[in-house]
Amino acid sequence: MDLTLIVVLVISLALFFDFTNGFHDTANAMATPIATGAITPKKAVLLAAILNLVGAFLSTEVAKTISGGIINEDAATGVSITPDMIFAGLMGAVIWNVLTWLLGLPSSSSHALFGGLVGAAIVGAGFGAVDYGVLLSKVLLPALCAPVIAGVSAYLCTKLAYSITRRQSGSSPKRGGFRYGQIFSSSLVALAHGTNDAQKTMGVITLTLVASGLQEANTGPHMWVIASCAFAIALGTYTGGWRIIRTMGSGLTDVKPAQGFSAEVSTASAILASSHLGFALSTTQVASGSVIGSGLGRKGAEVRWGTAGRIALGWLFTLPAAAIVGGVAAALAHLGTIGVVAVAVLGVGVLVVFWVLSRREVVGHENAMSDIDNSGAAVNILSKKERRKRERAARKAAEKEQKSAKQAKQPAAVSSETSGETESGTDSTQGTEKGQKK
Amino acid sequence: MIDWAAFGIVAVVTWVSAMCIVAAYSFAVRLLAVARDGGSTAMLNKVGAVFFFAVCGLIVLFGIVLIVPVLSENILGFS
Repeated sequence: MDLTLIVVLVISLALFFDFTNGFHDTANAMATPIATGAITPKKAVLLAAILNLVGAFLSTEVAKTISGGIINEDAATGVSITPDMIFAGLMGAVIWNVLTWLLGLPSSSSHALFGGLVGAAIVGAGFGAVDYGVLLSKVLLPALCAPVIAGVSAYLCTKLAYSITRRQSGSSPKRGGFRYGQIFSSSLVALAHGTNDAQKTMGVITLTLVASGLQEANTGPHMWVIASCAFAIALGTYTGGWRIIRTMGSGLTDVKPAQGFSAEVSTASAILASSHLGFALSTTQVASGSVIGSGLGRKGAEVRWGTAGRIALGWLFTLPAAAIVGGVAAALAHLGTIGVVAVAVLGVGVLVVFWVLSRREVVGHENAMSDIDNSGAAVNILSKKERRKRERAARKAAEKEQKSAKQAKQPAAVSSETSGETESGTDSTQGTEKGQKK
Repeated sequence: MIDWAAFGIVAVVTWVSAMCIVAAYSFAVRLLAVARDGGSTAMLNKVGAVFFFAVCGLIVLFGIVLIVPVLSENILGFS
């Protein structure tokens, strides 16, 4: 097998994975500010792309340690990672990423990558190739803890923000100020994302170069690797995974500025805290946990547990599903050059099918958040619950009026007139209610 | 094998830092709202709001310095 051909294939696939990672994760940083109208969708993705680019250059610590640990690649055990195994693993990760994008699920790109590599390593080099202890403590447990930690944080922060800004005098708390804060807090999330996720691809490319003897072991990523990964993830972010933005921004809960600010600050803190303490958390899972937590923290906001459950199911499947695709690809790639070419052709075929399916219902920046976009300028967007409550109160008032009209024993002709009037009466009761609430 | 202490530290650091930032920003928003109502203390409230915005910004800056090894080495002396 021509070594340079496979290396080129791996690098291009790795960069494509980086691209999918970017557009998959735009939602983490930008879904909530877009949802509250803090920033327009197009500006949001541009800002996120720039900060991703900057973030990717800031640190290469994660890249230096990536894949060290989970896959046993030392000479003593006789296990060695070959470029075609990495190729197979990446294929698994890319296919899973594009499938979850098609379904609008904010699944973890990191887990897809780990899953694909683990699957490929098991098929290519046997079950001994994987260090399950590290897999459990570094990947699976953080997957459970991360959303909970971030969610609790977002819950507490939302409660705190609302109780601090509540005015006893009853005058307007002007919580719209949080919208400006959201621009900064979401930028912070985008920056943190760049410092973490771009590193993973750099690590994979460096691993490939080392495995094929083109780079000395224990050296950091080359400058061209850092630059190309940074641009790939920024380009992906700019393209924007609008389907996932829709799920994160309005599918989980209705997000208000103070809530969105709390969620983003929690996400950023969790990522920064964990990366500083050398802990691998998934950006996606932290962000989803924060959004749900902030929904629980605001009175009147409802969390759509159906969507949350669908997302959680996606998380459960991410690692094993990517592993299975990676494993199948590795089995094929094991056949030699023909196998690798077959994997490449099949993989591209599957991706084209996904893309064609996605064209059936196009979700872009114009319609990802249309209903919220239109009302984004108004600070007080009523949540569904509040709206329903008002409707119910109005209906009750209307019924009362009708009853009293009947009790007055007026002629039938007049009562039909009053029923026509009750509608306008409903409006006035709503109006007074609004006045009282304010 | 499983480093529970690390989970604990991540959780506590996340909660404390996020709540500090949100509290500072919320106080600033509240003071701004009070200042807009007018009255004799409007100027004082505005200054207070700016102060809390600055506190919030400083906490965030500290966080960024912590995650960027080059910055934390040069400014804090460790990474």
